[in-house]
Amino acid sequence: MIPVRATFEKRRRAKYISHLDLMRCMTRAFKRAAVPIWYTEGFNPHAYLMFPLALSLGCESGCECMDFRIDGDMTPEEAMQRLNAVLPADLQLTAIAAPVHKHTDIAFADYAVHLRAEAPVTAEQLREKWDAFMAQGQILIEKKTKRGTAMIDLKEQVQRCDAETTAEGVALSLRLPAGTSVNVNPSLLTDAFKAYLAEHAPGMKLCFPQTERLAILCADGSAFT
Amino acid sequence: MSLFEQIEPLLLQVQKPARYIGGEMGSIMKEKSQLKARFAFCFPDRYDVGMSNLGMKILYSCINKRAEYWCERVFAPDTDFEALMRENGIPLYALESLESVRDFDFIGFTIGYEMCYTNILNMLDLAGVPIMQRDRGENIAPIVCAGGSCCCNPEPIADFFDLFFLGEGEELDLEVMDLYVKCKEQGMTRSAFLREAAKIEGVYVPSLYDVTYNEDGTVKAYTPKDGAPATVRKRIISDFDACEAPEEFVVPFSEIVHDRAVTEVLRGCIRGCRFCQAGFLYRPFRERTPETVCRQAKTLIDNTGYEELSLCSLSTSDHSQIEEMMDGLLTFTDDAHINLSLPSLRVDNFSSGLMNRLRRVRSSGLTFAPEAGTQRLRDVINKNVTEEELMRTCRIAFNAGQTSVKLYFMMGLPTETDDDIRGIIELAQRVVDMYYEMENRPKGRPVQISCSVATFVPKPFTPFEFHPQDTREMIAHKQKVLEEAVSGHKRIRASWHAPDMSILEAVLARGDRRLSAVILEAWKRGCIFDAWSEHFRFDLWEEAFAAAGLTPEFYANRDRSYDEVFPWDHIDFYVEKSFLIKENEKAKQAEVTPHCRAKCAVCGVTKITGKPCFDYSKNAKEKRDAAQ
Repeated sequence: MIPVRATFEKRRRAKYISHLDLMRCMTRAFKRAAVPIWYTEGFNPHAYLMFPLALSLGCESGCECMDFRIDGDMTPEEAMQRLNAVLPADLQLTAIAAPVHKHTDIAFADYAVHLRAEAPVTAEQLREKWDAFMAQGQILIEKKTKRGTAMIDLKEQVQRCDAETTAEGVALSLRLPAGTSVNVNPSLLTDAFKAYLAEHAPGMKLCFPQTERLAILCADGSAFT
Repeated sequence: MSLFEQIEPLLLQVQKPARYIGGEMGSIMKEKSQLKARFAFCFPDRYDVGMSNLGMKILYSCINKRAEYWCERVFAPDTDFEALMRENGIPLYALESLESVRDFDFIGFTIGYEMCYTNILNMLDLAGVPIMQRDRGENIAPIVCAGGSCCCNPEPIADFFDLFFLGEGEELDLEVMDLYVKCKEQGMTRSAFLREAAKIEGVYVPSLYDVTYNEDGTVKAYTPKDGAPATVRKRIISDFDACEAPEEFVVPFSEIVHDRAVTEVLRGCIRGCRFCQAGFLYRPFRERTPETVCRQAKTLIDNTGYEELSLCSLSTSDHSQIEEMMDGLLTFTDDAHINLSLPSLRVDNFSSGLMNRLRRVRSSGLTFAPEAGTQRLRDVINKNVTEEELMRTCRIAFNAGQTSVKLYFMMGLPTETDDDIRGIIELAQRVVDMYYEMENRPKGRPVQISCSVATFVPKPFTPFEFHPQDTREMIAHKQKVLEEAVSGHKRIRASWHAPDMSILEAVLARGDRRLSAVILEAWKRGCIFDAWSEHFRFDLWEEAFAAAGLTPEFYANRDRSYDEVFPWDHIDFYVEKSFLIKENEKAKQAEVTPHCRAKCAVCGVTKITGKPCFDYSKNAKEKRDAAQ
């Protein structure tokens, strides 16, 4: 039995597969590909598949992880090849290797977010508002937790936020906490910005922000592999 | 901006966005420059319902096998997404290309139940295609067409369609597409193409028929024009066993109603239950061999990755080689963690051999449909099931450790009395009693019998097509009788529904062409998703009837004479009207008709197929053997 960690992309149409649906989709892909995945041995045996870090709906990614065990005579490379042959074009494996880190080692994730506003707002005007938004002492939002809602200060949570004005808007490069203890989705920040605009610049309307996860990282900033 | 870019910002605002974006495993993509025709296969209900439909999977596969045709899927958006589509000017689009269906060559609907008619109108409107056929002009595309069981009486929706496919579409749809390509290349108009299409057996072009009415509102005559045939006969495929079933399904990301591999084991039904439209529409009875079924099932499982396989037919246990088939299937399903399920079992031939095979794969509750509570009424509807057979089956189930049984019944059947209604509960109580008399019943577990009682809807092409549906008052009374009968019975639960939906279903099922105006009006007043109780607005339908100067009672509750011209009399589904009359007369005498395998009932099918449906020499031999 070989434990492996596969890296996969989730792009275009595949962005809208929810976490639960992704699990079902992958289980079926293993069947279609005839990859001998290890089944749990409980009362109701099922394919053992683990996704160390969920991705929010609508977010693109080139660095998603999936753990499973090959229970039979097949190399990880062949498993990857077979899976890619049966998976949709927007959902493809890019690497496969023995897992190095534990799931609990995940600490941060990097994201690219492209903000655009509806015309006639220019990129410069949007940039100005973004800078003002980030210059606030605190960015308080309500976050749903298992025990109801809690107030958190996004300003404290954002590890890094570089902004760059583009032809169409503002490109953000973000590092946010990720993992089982604290997890901050980039949509929390863009939603807070939307609310800020509604209050301070009611004429400015944000377009659908294109978001992509770029990397999953450990506490020391090294890639989770 | 592409439609994908326009749709994307809206997806996170709606429930289950995966339904609206396609890209599933098994969905077929093609290069547009290689195509001669594009077919938008529309299912007039939500994705999770439509994706469960086997007919759609079959035809999707048939059309896409041809390199020059591209068949794509289209479903009705749920109300939240529809509102956003309208707000943002997004037209109805197909899930594969994410392109507007307005630019397709065919917009084809599959229509399996009457209650989706307003959804069809809504989808055409969302597509930006004129709802009325007469408003579509002479440009050949798009051809708006439909198939499916409801098209056996297409008249209520005749004004909305260019053509209907009657019967089985596997070969017919492609013939029509081939003709279309030829006509399009010759620069023909829509009406010229339709005149040509009407010459193909199985194609009904409603605009080629004039309808006149009698003073009492019944149909006087259908008059064909421009060379259209006086009657249009349905199509069946030439060889059912040889006709390839889909080797692949589009496997959805999100959960759907029937999320499993499905293999069709037989088509048609030998039983001739007099209330059952499917039992007459899908004749003649044809089987696939166990080898074909096993091969197709295995291929499908391998290609889809499903862990559940379901056998599909009107009555799976009527397959002449069911046990051999089960053994063949179990040899590979057991090894591969595949669950096997068999809906549509009958109580009269449910053997313990079959039960044992089923027990190996599942342990969910059992469902049977005696349909009526008394033997007299079961004889009236020709449900050839005796109480003894039901008891025997329940005993087999209880012996195998089951403790709950679900029984399906109808109310409002012809000749029904209050005693027949009370008979439902009495029958269920005898099942309960039998359970407690069993020595080896599952110890310490109470038995539970659920009786689900639906309102009967008379349908075209059945012996009860002449019969009035019970009025609202009669149904209310019978439901009260049922409620009183079940009170005090601890181990029996009975359930029923308000009759409004069944009343509308009865109206639309046996309606005429004037109902197109009512359906249009109902949709304009906001009716949509009529099959869903949370959306169903009977009051709006009543307003629509009033606006058109028609009443639901005329269609639902009128006793129809044998010499009346029915709106579907120019449609030929192989079964003769004289046979239906004979069966209706036998029903009145509570006289049963044996199933087709025992004795040919002479329904009219063999006159067209030119051969008997079964090899009766085997029966004669069995009889001789038994006599010796």
